[in-house]
Amino acid sequence: MAIEIDEGNLKQGVLGLVIALVEIIQDALRHQAVRRMEGGSLTEEEVERLGEALLELDNAIKQIKEEMGVAETVKSVRDGLDSAVDDVLDNFLNPVKWLNPAKADKLS
Amino acid sequence: MSANDCGRYVYCIAEAGEGFSFGDIGIDDNEVYTIPYDSLCVVVHNCPIEPYSSGDKDVVCRWVINHQRVVEAALDRFGTVLPMSFDTIIQDTDEGSAEDNIRKWLVEEANGLKKNLDRVRDNEEYGVQVFWEPNTIAGVISQTNPELRKLEEEIRSKSKGLAYMYKQRLEKLLKQEMGKEAENYFKDFYHRIEGCVSELKVEKTKTEVDKQMLINLSCLVAREKTEPLSDELENINEMDGFSVRFTGPWPPYSFVTVK
Repeated sequence: MAIEIDEGNLKQGVLGLVIALVEIIQDALRHQAVRRMEGGSLTEEEVERLGEALLELDNAIKQIKEEMGVAETVKSVRDGLDSAVDDVLDNFLNPVKWLNPAKADKLS
Repeated sequence: MSANDCGRYVYCIAEAGEGFSFGDIGIDDNEVYTIPYDSLCVVVHNCPIEPYSSGDKDVVCRWVINHQRVVEAALDRFGTVLPMSFDTIIQDTDEGSAEDNIRKWLVEEANGLKKNLDRVRDNEEYGVQVFWEPNTIAGVISQTNPELRKLEEEIRSKSKGLAYMYKQRLEKLLKQEMGKEAENYFKDFYHRIEGCVSELKVEKTKTEVDKQMLINLSCLVAREKTEPLSDELENINEMDGFSVRFTGPWPPYSFVTVK
């Protein structure tokens, strides 16, 4: 994954990277929030407040991306991270393992 | 012989004990000929002892295509070949010339080579890739899965924050269902294709724009089984949201491991 940074696009690059990180943190928050909701430890009112907060954060990030024109940079940072993670996961979650064990043995 | 061409660039091994020249069809117009030994021969051209390499993608691409053409020419002439990968070069050593080394290699590996030739005889390699459009599949799932439908109903009547959270949950469940479906389809396709081929290899999947590769297979197919395979793939191709890429016939690159 290459993040191109020179003087001209330094600001864009850093901002894109920061927003990408914020998005990733938000994904984690959202994931946690859904799990708590599913676990039943939150009242309906709490779920409502949580949802509203996350929605506002969503909108704020969207707005910043549009205003600063960093949507593309953010996407490329995240795609780069995704493909790096994919490579790692591929070793563990190879489709070969979806076959029954006897088949997998035969293939390897 | 000059020091410049004491290596042998190897294209493939063929099941024929004859010396034969293909003419100047090799990489960089080199003469391609066979070095026979016993009932086998090695298809080569003379080259310097250094790998073909270039920073220019087009040049490399031309070499690889040329390599492929030579293997095909050998396949046409000899019927059964074990293709080598690009840039396989045998060099001379203190013990003998490159040609001596090739003969020595043929003798040492004779059993393995013959076993491989038996495996691929009258077989061709095909590439099979099945894609699905995630959006189409997701649409079908969210309409047919009762739990997801119920959730979607509920979202409409909820206040803003709750609706947001329910939507997150909906997406999470949908993703899980997609995963299960992918697994089921993978197994289904694998077994359907398995019935039509001599051997199968599961390759890494790659994602393309707008469509996901669900399964990527290299198939070794007996010549008379090509039609049943292509019929089966046609059936898959007609399924809503699915498409199949079927390439070949190739020389059996994925099914021979020659040391």
